[in-house]
Amino acid sequence: MTERWFPDEMPMPAANAETVGWWEAAADHRLVVQRCTECGRTRHPPGPVCPRCRSTSAQWSPLAGTGTVYTYTVVHQAFIPSLQDRVPYVVIAVELDGADGARMVSDLVDADPDEVAVGLPVEVAWEDMGPELAVPRFRPASGPGRTRTGTRP
Amino acid sequence: MTARSGRRAVIAGVATSDYPHLPHLSEHAVHGQAADRALADAGLTFADVDGFATTGFFPMYATGVAEYLGLHPIYFDETNSGGSSFEVLVEHAAYAVEAGAADVVLVTYGSVQLSQMGRRLGTGGGGGGGFAPGPAIYDALWGNTLVGNYAMAARRHMHEFGTTPEQLAAVAVTMRKHAATNPQAQEREPITVEDVVTSRLVADPLHKLDCCVISDGGGACVVTTEERARDLPRAPVYVLGAAHATTHHLNLSAMPNLTVTPAAQCGPVAFARAGITPADVDVAQLYDSFTITVVLTVEDLGFCAKGEGGAFVEDGGLGVGGRLPTNTDGGGLSACHPGMRGMFLIVEAVRQLRGEAGATQVADARIAVAHGTGGMLSTGATLVLGREVP
Repeated sequence: MTERWFPDEMPMPAANAETVGWWEAAADHRLVVQRCTECGRTRHPPGPVCPRCRSTSAQWSPLAGTGTVYTYTVVHQAFIPSLQDRVPYVVIAVELDGADGARMVSDLVDADPDEVAVGLPVEVAWEDMGPELAVPRFRPASGPGRTRTGTRP
Repeated sequence: MTARSGRRAVIAGVATSDYPHLPHLSEHAVHGQAADRALADAGLTFADVDGFATTGFFPMYATGVAEYLGLHPIYFDETNSGGSSFEVLVEHAAYAVEAGAADVVLVTYGSVQLSQMGRRLGTGGGGGGGFAPGPAIYDALWGNTLVGNYAMAARRHMHEFGTTPEQLAAVAVTMRKHAATNPQAQEREPITVEDVVTSRLVADPLHKLDCCVISDGGGACVVTTEERARDLPRAPVYVLGAAHATTHHLNLSAMPNLTVTPAAQCGPVAFARAGITPADVDVAQLYDSFTITVVLTVEDLGFCAKGEGGAFVEDGGLGVGGRLPTNTDGGGLSACHPGMRGMFLIVEAVRQLRGEAGATQVADARIAVAHGTGGMLSTGATLVLGREVP
């Protein structure tokens, strides 16, 4: 098992035909983005049709797992009961490197809430939530001079 | 709107229900109270109603409320676009009466969201697990919250344009000032910018006082034709133009630009249909789920340039006598927010145009805009209303 940051009692994805491939890749700790095989446009969350060219043909394009914080919020009031005593935690929208502008909402872990900023470079941190479920979260990208200052949540 | 001769759409009656706390009423009873009052205001009865529109959180919702009200309409509509639903329903009702599909469309809203919170019997808690199907609420898997979505839009706006928490707070301060003159308002004690920015953070940068209240309440309006309204007691309010738009469902990941809402699409279309520009608007009723919602909306509707919303709302910019008198009933931030408060925007806009808005009446208000915002900044709907056809 990987490091754990969030409790077991989180909403679980009920994968469907469009999202199952994304979750299967995640289970292998591979971050991917759905890319239209006709025109190359990326889309997230995954969907059945390319919003640009209407092609139904798509592939899972591998990503490096790095990106930058596009925006963020420090959540001080959680509505999921199991998170209510885990605040504050940092929710981010990540602009994913190599994903042509596709963004995903995730969490910033291994960081003090004061560390987060728009433009912060981040890298994926996988959390195994169950035998077949891994959830990509992000931590500040490792780089020279950076020190880990926090571990919440 | 382009109507067949004599069938130009007007609003002939409006009402709010009692609010903000109705523990003795069911949701349907709130609809009923508002419907009775709006029809009385219009000088009509249930026997005159041949069209009905409302929406809620269950399929066939309008059918259920129609049964409760004893209506057998030949036109009904329950389009749900979240907080903008009632602007959409009134737009549709206007088209319906102009096309001759109905003569009198009753549009009602009712919610007991506040009282319901205390009434749930063991269904609201649990481990908080659950399953998020398909792409729906994809973002919730990461502990994101409804407020968190608006907070992330606010943060991005601050990053791109230098908007400050104090500028956001100015929206809440002005709404509270208006609410102080509304005896029904849920929160009436005056507040300062300092009070807002020192209230507890819910989702940074949004504080408790950047967030709307949670209320019980409802409202109703009656849409009919200009011809029919000639025989009715109240001065008609014309539906001059309307439009609605959507950019994404409930995942912020899919929102194209976090500082641009669907208002940027539907606002200009509604204004063009009405034959007006933002400068012609005397009073605005803008969805204020959060302070940032208003800042984004004044920009997207063209009352100021993108990025200048913070400066626009500062220093009483949204007050009576300010740059754009807004939410003269106190808005969702202070007066009443039962979940989808779009109907309240319409009722207050009509009251302004009839000169019935009391202490926050805008002198000689001739053109009013009601703009609803739904979902996670996902939908927008603009109604341009006027005392006469320009």
